[in-house]
Amino acid sequence: MLEVENLQVVYNNAIEAVRNASLTVGVGGMTALLGANGAGKTTLLKAISGVLYPEDGSIRDGLIKFEGHDLTSLAPDEIVRLGIAHVPEGRRLFIELTVEENLVVGGHIAERADVARRLEEIYALFPRIKDKRAVLSGYLSGGEQQMVAIGRALMTNPRLLMLDEPSLGIAPLMAQAIYAAVERLCRDNGLTVLLVEQNAQLALDASRQAYVLENGRVVLDGTSDELKRNEDVCEFYLGLGAKGDRRSMREVKHYKRRKRWLS
Amino acid sequence: MLNAYIAHTIGVHTGLGFWGLVPVVIAVSLLLGLLIEFVLIRPMIGEPTISIVMMTVGLAVFIRSLVVLVWGAAPLEFSASPGDIVLSLGPVRLYLAQAIAIGLLLAIMAGFAVFYRYTRSGIAMRAAANDETVALLMGIDVRRIYALAWVLAASTAGLAGLLISTIYELGPDMSAFGLRGFPATILGGLDAVGGSAAGGFIIGILENLGEGYVGRGLKEIIGFVIILVVLMIRPFGLFGTRNVERV
Repeated sequence: MLEVENLQVVYNNAIEAVRNASLTVGVGGMTALLGANGAGKTTLLKAISGVLYPEDGSIRDGLIKFEGHDLTSLAPDEIVRLGIAHVPEGRRLFIELTVEENLVVGGHIAERADVARRLEEIYALFPRIKDKRAVLSGYLSGGEQQMVAIGRALMTNPRLLMLDEPSLGIAPLMAQAIYAAVERLCRDNGLTVLLVEQNAQLALDASRQAYVLENGRVVLDGTSDELKRNEDVCEFYLGLGAKGDRRSMREVKHYKRRKRWLS
Repeated sequence: MLNAYIAHTIGVHTGLGFWGLVPVVIAVSLLLGLLIEFVLIRPMIGEPTISIVMMTVGLAVFIRSLVVLVWGAAPLEFSASPGDIVLSLGPVRLYLAQAIAIGLLLAIMAGFAVFYRYTRSGIAMRAAANDETVALLMGIDVRRIYALAWVLAASTAGLAGLLISTIYELGPDMSAFGLRGFPATILGGLDAVGGSAAGGFIIGILENLGEGYVGRGLKEIIGFVIILVVLMIRPFGLFGTRNVERV
């Protein structure tokens, strides 16, 4: 469905954030993108949805193809119309607008008649925000804001939903509820999800396939089950020793703690 | 101001009355607004707000000089004014043109309030003002929204120019009105639709009282004195919203 080939992204013509990254997202199910801070995960999502230029970023090289369309030359609103919705990191709601107005903005490209119907679908998916539809969205709790952010993206009627750290700063129970809702969408509506997540356990449990990014490069990929058994993933992302038991960092020499995937 | 001069010329040549000129002025302002947006504002998207403001200030100086060059510096009589009829509402006496100005103000204000609250373009405009990048992610063509905002502002300003020139006179000094509208907006709150109108009334009354009781020359500066005080006590204006913040 989505293919990224040898993508290179540069900020300010100087800083290379993504280098030679390639990945494929198949139709249906969830694909996870893991990696430490600054690995280039968010940049990759921004490159796909075409919003690098407000931050002086640009695509130097490589291809992004979505169902045969080349996305690298399209404007952000054209990419949304193709069926890709991006929930940005940190929710980024329109805080001066009410919950319902936020959702209506998401329905900007939809037909007028569809907006009311989709609003009801979103409220059915996240009943918590229905009671708060007239509240200024900036006053909601983190979890509720994330629900509005996902709902707002779903209003564009996407086939590919890109979630950037949906569990960031949210109570674990809330995060589970949000994941459950997204998984239900994948199963029932055939939605495809590209997930960026720091919480590797949560992401690997939910996803079918995963990529690990480090320093802008894809260093590891495979099915989520394979990655969960991978020794390095266990040690560096799940906090488990090779044998599956917890390991104290005191026993590791400090220069060995940080692992480089590629030399 | 340019619009008012163009309206004057059209009025003189075609003999249109005041009401005939209203749609003409709006149309001319729309076109001029679009032209300026396309040529000058669009390349500035993404630049800091202050550069855009400076650019429009420069443009205002340019237009002022252009007007003097074409129409001359002497004030012109507006033949198409609604007339010198005086309306009496109890103790208050108004020229017809002033009453029309107040009526149009209320109509435009109500129009904008409805537009921002209920139409999809209005909500999208507020969203784009709130967070431009995310508005792009929602499939909003932000450039088109900017153009729309610019055109709306231009046609409102054009209408204001026509009203001012019928109430006062048509001269190059008119451009000072734009400067005097600025404290009104700050006082009312930059993001409050009715706020600027209420701010305008307050400033207008204080300007005239200040000139009458304190001294000549105060009229031009009292607005700025007031916003100095307002910015200290209520930085978001009388009717503006505070920053939305979770507590």
